[in-house]
Amino acid sequence: MIGKLIWNDIKQNKLLSVVTTIFMAVSAMLLSLTVLLFVNLLSSIDDLMQQAKTPDFLQMHTGEWDEKEMAQFVQEHTEVKEWQICRFLNLENGTIRLGDYSLADSTQDNGLCVQGEQFDYLLDMENKLPEVLQGEVYVPVCYRARYNLNIGDVMQIGSREFVIAGFVRDAQMNSMMASSKRFLIHEADYQAIKEQGEEEYLIEFLLQDGTDVNAFITAYEAEGLPANGPAITKPLIRMMNALSDGMMILVVFIVSIVVLLISLLCIRFILLMRMEKDKKEVGMLKALGIGNREIRRLYLAKYILLSVCGATLGLLMAYLILNPLTKQMQELYGVSKSIWLTGSISLLTVFLAEGLILLSIRHSLKKAEKLSALEALFSTQKQKRNHAWGQYLLIGFVVAAGTFLMLVPQNLYSTLASPKFVTYMGIGDGEIRIDVRQTEDIEMVTEQIVSELEKDTRIEKYTVLQTRSYPAFLSDGTICNLMTEMGNHTVFPVSYVEGRAPEKETELALSTLNAKEFGLSVGDSLQLLIGGRKITYTICGVYSDITNGGKTAKACNMEECVKDDTPVMWSILYITLKESVSREQWMEEYNHAGVDAVDIADYVKETYGQTLEEISLAVKVATGIAVLIIFVVVLLFVRLIVERNRYSISLQKAMGFTNGSIKKIYMMKGFLPAVAGVVTGLLTGNICGEGICGIILKSFGADGFQFVIAWEMVFILIPAVALMAAGIAVWIGILEIKNVKAFECCMGKE
Amino acid sequence: MKELLRVENLCKNQILNHVSFTVEEGEMVAIMGPSGSGKSTLLYNVAGMDQPSEGKVWLSEQEITKLSEDDKASLRLHRMGFVFQQMNMMANLNILDNILLPAMQANKDKKEKRKTKAELRKTAREWMEKLSISDLAERSITQVSGGQLQRACICRSMMNEPEILFADEPTGALNKGAAGEVMNEFIKLNRQGTTILIVTHDSKVASRCNRVFYLLDGSIRGELVLGKVTSETEKQKEERLNQWLMEMGW
Repeated sequence: MIGKLIWNDIKQNKLLSVVTTIFMAVSAMLLSLTVLLFVNLLSSIDDLMQQAKTPDFLQMHTGEWDEKEMAQFVQEHTEVKEWQICRFLNLENGTIRLGDYSLADSTQDNGLCVQGEQFDYLLDMENKLPEVLQGEVYVPVCYRARYNLNIGDVMQIGSREFVIAGFVRDAQMNSMMASSKRFLIHEADYQAIKEQGEEEYLIEFLLQDGTDVNAFITAYEAEGLPANGPAITKPLIRMMNALSDGMMILVVFIVSIVVLLISLLCIRFILLMRMEKDKKEVGMLKALGIGNREIRRLYLAKYILLSVCGATLGLLMAYLILNPLTKQMQELYGVSKSIWLTGSISLLTVFLAEGLILLSIRHSLKKAEKLSALEALFSTQKQKRNHAWGQYLLIGFVVAAGTFLMLVPQNLYSTLASPKFVTYMGIGDGEIRIDVRQTEDIEMVTEQIVSELEKDTRIEKYTVLQTRSYPAFLSDGTICNLMTEMGNHTVFPVSYVEGRAPEKETELALSTLNAKEFGLSVGDSLQLLIGGRKITYTICGVYSDITNGGKTAKACNMEECVKDDTPVMWSILYITLKESVSREQWMEEYNHAGVDAVDIADYVKETYGQTLEEISLAVKVATGIAVLIIFVVVLLFVRLIVERNRYSISLQKAMGFTNGSIKKIYMMKGFLPAVAGVVTGLLTGNICGEGICGIILKSFGADGFQFVIAWEMVFILIPAVALMAAGIAVWIGILEIKNVKAFECCMGKE
Repeated sequence: MKELLRVENLCKNQILNHVSFTVEEGEMVAIMGPSGSGKSTLLYNVAGMDQPSEGKVWLSEQEITKLSEDDKASLRLHRMGFVFQQMNMMANLNILDNILLPAMQANKDKKEKRKTKAELRKTAREWMEKLSISDLAERSITQVSGGQLQRACICRSMMNEPEILFADEPTGALNKGAAGEVMNEFIKLNRQGTTILIVTHDSKVASRCNRVFYLLDGSIRGELVLGKVTSETEKQKEERLNQWLMEMGW
């Protein structure tokens, strides 16, 4: 009997049933997609890192190192499980050609290496150790699509040629956000080509489980072991890997939450409307003595059936969309092995989403139970009118939510695409950046470049920032080494989450990770040991930083009276040229002279290109979903408004109103809430959207984030698309008006 | 005869004023009165569909007015039957399924001696046979006449073998011929032992009952005993009732 009732109800209300199922399916699809993507990403990164045996800590270094000292250190530290020194032959980008492309414009440090002896393996596309033969090269997989490479193509380094025998996944440097890329060659080839590049070392450690990595780093630095390059930990590598694809997942997540909210609201509204229509029947059932619980069960059974259909459809759609969205993820990290885990978690998410929808339905049903049999049998017009208002509100809400859906991912995209975004990552707001790293005499090279810059009249402004490691005295009595970037930080400032850049010699800015670890905030003080003297600094600012392990500090240059003989770990120069000067020409000139100058805009494009492509895809998906939702919901509710007002439309016709004049009234009734919705969507998208993205980006390391708004997109294109979708839906919805006959009102069918 | 329904000092806001009466087993009682006199309100309060502001109602030994909403619903399902003026039925079910609806629910509630679906269908068909609508079983509610629909409603109300049948203007929406047919069915049921309480403003309908209460402004102003089986013809009864109503000021 219940089955018959449900089936007949679905048959008679096809549109409402289909729309309800669509809402349930899209919610299930998006939420399970978010979970599938997230679990897939994390598990495939973890799988890759596990198989590649990624080191827990690695220290980059250029120049001499003493093997005995290293062996001694390892012997004294039982927490070291394994250690090794990997060589990395840093090549001049201009000398490398991959197939038909030159890497001269690459902002990455490209170099050669041989397979790690004990760990830190470069793996082939089956996540196995490739066997490299002489004359062969394995290329980082992230370059395969970028340079349209195939197995058998040729890689040229100077005059030498290598055959591309395959592609490798590098758990450490896979992400374009990692600044170096390793090409895998045979040992004999490495020895033969050694003279063409500069050899750097990766001093790598695998530590026992549960080891405090920070304490180990401090101990390493305290021993004065080789450390003139950045120090990187395993969590940072994992974060770098997760960050690029994580942004796309963030967009899908925001979309799925908004869609779930829309679904909850629309389904609830559809249910209330159905119940209003069924009121007499419900009243009759109550009068006959059928209890509230039975009536609720009757409705719930129908929605459970619809939600089972919706969930199945949603899961199918999620698995269909998953492949194109995870294409890059699979290329970089491999296919996740945790199929059962991802499968069961996505199933659980679908259950949760549908459960939430069914709970909201149950809540609405319980509220309606307060109505007695008599009230239901003799319903009043007042309640009808309340729902009519609700319909207009709902149109406004759905258009607002749709606008929000289009706006937030778009704003996120334009923010990431903006050169300013790097300032949230700890990189200065300049045009050009020159890094002096891992050379024998960093200070001397820096001085030479500075003297050239001083003479160069094409430069508008520049600054030199030099990083040294100083012992810092923490309040709990411990001492740790703090990588401090000295120089004028006001010329090309980074974005500060709190406070400002150091302006006085006694001021120090800390990265968020350090501020959190030390328990310090603006106004607190910290002592550093510089040139044998303890100097007390006041914390003037906190900034987010994902460079150099994210644990850095910034301070001004010291007075001349404090002789600072601490060796410079690396120097960075930020430059802005005068407007008339060609940046490309200037950079070419300096690069030719052996200086590694990088255009920050190119750096952003190259570093975040991968991420931007994915976000761009997610923006398109979000826009498509938003347009579809606006169209379907507005069409549905306008049709319902026309249906509810059939009597008055018929009366108007009987009085002599034309179809056109009635349509105009209903066009305005449907369109005005849509306009209000667009305005609300723009406001909430720009204000709340920034907050939501900020919270999530903070977990990725970019703190204090502000939207960079593409005005023409945000204030012209998106509102136009939303209004067009709503307008077309209203127009189609009111077409029904012409089918209402003037005599209907005379038949008393209100 | 045993008392089946007792109503004591029933009040509902300004509509009912201290209404008291009793109905005995096997009786067919009518409540008459002009529009707005409170007839339907009285019926719904007596049947437990609404909660009176004052007063008590008993069905046999069970005090209805102190029961919870769920218990009242259960009482209506198992011990009462209803026929409404508007012939309310589920639009999504055919005639047979509509008749079966309360019976299936009541059967589900039973802890023992549950009937099978086939048995219930057999009972429904028997009732349809008795009320001459057996050929309408598979029809939709929009495919039958008002009289046929009301007879289907009577079948539905009888499926759980109620102790008392409440009817609110059962012939109000029917033409003269159909109204007569429906009333004949009520009389048949009453003769078979079903107690019936009818609310009506039609003296033709009321004249076929044993007793008639006259309700005005929420109070019972008079009671007329028409007798169960007398030598009076229906016409004579109707004339006596009309005379009495005129005396009551209608």
